[in-house]
Amino acid sequence: MYQYIARRLFLTIPVVLGVSIIVFAIIRMLPGDPARAMAGPQASPQYIESVRARYGLDQPIAVQYVTFMRRAAQGDFGISVFSRRPVITEISERFPRTLLLASISLVIATAVGVPAGIISATKRNSIFDNVSMVVALIGVAAPVFWLALMLQLLFAVHLSWFPSTGIGTPMHLVLPSVTLGAASAGLFARITRSSMLEVLREDYVTTARAKGLTENVVVYKHALKSAMIPVVTVMGLQFGILLGGAVLTETVFAWPGIGRLLVDSILRRDYPVVQATVMMLAFLFVLINLVVDILYAFLDPRIQYQGGGGE
Amino acid sequence: MSTAKRITMGVMAAGVLAIVVAGCAPEEEEAVARDTLTIAIGAEPESLDPVQMTSAPAATVGEHAVERLIYMEEDGELTPMLATSWDSNEEGTEWTFRLREGVEFHDGEPFNAEAVKVNLDRFLDPDVGAVYAFLLGSVQEVEVVGEYEVRLHLEEPFAPILSHLSHSFIGMISPAQIEDSYLDDVGSPVGTGPYEMVSWDRGDRIEMTINDNYWGDTPQIENLRFTFISEDSARIVALETGEADAIMAVPPTDAVRLEGNDDIDVTYQTSVRQIYVGFNVNHEPFDNKTVRQALNYAVDKEIIVDTIFEGNAFVADAPIVDAVFGHTSVGPYEYDPDRAREMLAEAGYADGFEVTLYHPTGRYPQDSTVAEIVQDQLADVGVDLTLETMEWSSYLDYLYLPEDESDYRMYVLGWGTVTLDADYGLFALFHGEQGAPAGNNISYYRNDEVDVLLEQARINTEPAAREALYGEAIELIWDDASWLFLYNEGQINASHRSVEGLIHHPLENLSAWDAYFVD
Repeated sequence: MYQYIARRLFLTIPVVLGVSIIVFAIIRMLPGDPARAMAGPQASPQYIESVRARYGLDQPIAVQYVTFMRRAAQGDFGISVFSRRPVITEISERFPRTLLLASISLVIATAVGVPAGIISATKRNSIFDNVSMVVALIGVAAPVFWLALMLQLLFAVHLSWFPSTGIGTPMHLVLPSVTLGAASAGLFARITRSSMLEVLREDYVTTARAKGLTENVVVYKHALKSAMIPVVTVMGLQFGILLGGAVLTETVFAWPGIGRLLVDSILRRDYPVVQATVMMLAFLFVLINLVVDILYAFLDPRIQYQGGGGE
Repeated sequence: MSTAKRITMGVMAAGVLAIVVAGCAPEEEEAVARDTLTIAIGAEPESLDPVQMTSAPAATVGEHAVERLIYMEEDGELTPMLATSWDSNEEGTEWTFRLREGVEFHDGEPFNAEAVKVNLDRFLDPDVGAVYAFLLGSVQEVEVVGEYEVRLHLEEPFAPILSHLSHSFIGMISPAQIEDSYLDDVGSPVGTGPYEMVSWDRGDRIEMTINDNYWGDTPQIENLRFTFISEDSARIVALETGEADAIMAVPPTDAVRLEGNDDIDVTYQTSVRQIYVGFNVNHEPFDNKTVRQALNYAVDKEIIVDTIFEGNAFVADAPIVDAVFGHTSVGPYEYDPDRAREMLAEAGYADGFEVTLYHPTGRYPQDSTVAEIVQDQLADVGVDLTLETMEWSSYLDYLYLPEDESDYRMYVLGWGTVTLDADYGLFALFHGEQGAPAGNNISYYRNDEVDVLLEQARINTEPAAREALYGEAIELIWDDASWLFLYNEGQINASHRSVEGLIHHPLENLSAWDAYFVD
């Protein structure tokens, strides 16, 4: 088991390296002179020259990459072109806020989606099933942007229950996390339902029922654990998406997280921040996948990792 | 469990959060809001360190804490701020400023000539790399004459120096702070302004509180808060819910809607940027002045202003906007397609011609739509435009080529006269020696008379005389028509009716030091 984890961790290195090369190359392949773009339209040629030198843009790409990676390995991702603060400071200020938003969203999505999916599966074709699946479909399909604006209009403008934008109090979390969690909730509900339906048809469930166990015990004790395997996979992936994909939500609700930092930085052509943020998100995604794989082992005894069981 | 019971459970599961939190809605926040004015701006300042600032949001926030020697009113008039009076020697190469006495920085450091020198020297230091160092480009030395007297020695006479010193970025911060972080960003600037910095929560807000020790009229509102909401609709929602008392950069279409709200005031103000179509006067057919003028007559600027910008833009009547010192109204070229056709025929283009119009997309509000309208209207007089758009930095690379390499004919561009002095808006764009790539004269326009006028206006220290010189230059530039003059961009702010005294500045600054609440 530990060997497996170690090997998987080791395998993330080429993935992260690959991502770093791609990101680095894409940014530098963009048309136009980044130094000029950074300096702005009214900058003097001397100033543009000084920007080029300051950010090492006068060096060959390979040299730039090696320099970047050497520094990155020491935790130094350079200086933001926009704020002139260390990139690592920018990211470490923003990341906890995105983490908080994504976590709360995931909790909301799980708390709503999974029970809805279970009830739908056990009461297949009931009114609850039909209604909740339609709602889930809307949740998955509704554009985040639209949902965000509707929630703002209803709960901030008309009802004045929650603040419309910004951070500060727990109240500020409600609208953005509901917005962000809605699609995941819908997804979880649908996955849970279909997975549960499949498991409920399994022989061992029939056996459990035949033993005379109550329906609740059958569903929650026997079927649920197996049914959760695909759900956990999706949750893991979804958490990665929530971390990196909160861009729209963060923008509409002026939530100062990593997604907004990324988009703002792209618009400002703040290449050092874009580079570091994308690489960090890629690394996190790889890490989350690893955690999901490991969780499997606990959920599904059929999955064995080399060197683990000794059978 | 019955079906009904399960449905109830499901609904509860889904709605539990909303119901729980609804019980503790934040009513109490409303009551204390009156000692704090909240302004929502569209972008976060990149920095509040004078040597690092480049944007209007930075200037808007920074101005409340950091002051400069001279202040420029909305109408371009220069008035004393930290300097009480100033004059120059005969040649205009030495400018002496007498400073306000008894002023302290927020950290208690005294404001004096030494402080001015430390600040300006830092601004001029190439190692610091101030983006706007060009504002003081002509300054050779800053001399401390007395405790409250400072003298600037210029390489050559440069009259716009006063406007340049009034720029929001030439702010005075505490020498102690400069000593601590000479090369680095100072973070929260320690100035002399009516408000002092409390906190800067990156990505979210900047808080300031009143400076009780302020040398001028103490503001009436205790605290200021600037929040950063980049999404237009969210900024408007924040105003409507009262979370923000004032917002900047309202899109024209939303302004129309907000006008209908009795609780909200919408303010329209010009900005300093003009959008134009440039001609490359080296190439046919734009080497012919009659053709250039004809095209100016062929485009209906009113249509652009009214339909695309809902009235929130202003037809250009000079190559600089009217808020700029030195502006003289000489235009516009009235829309007259018949006259345009006649002039084209007269110039030998009775059948029109074909040409490519280069334009950016998304750089200026509605830029590509404007290009399309120009295309449409020129087609009317037989000029067939092909539109070509480029990514911004490639576009600049393409335009800023040496004269003999440039092969474009027409391009859309904008220029902001951020110093509010005609020199900055005219010299680099219309002086014959300012051809790209060294200067910004991308039309390669050259008129010796204009050159002389612009040079004289640069060294004449008499404001009235300068205005007259610019007036003459503007008339010639307008007549030569190296641009198809289009429009000046506008800016729209909105505020609650309960807030009075906000200053909406053409430099896209919103100032709150005179603001107060009314019931």
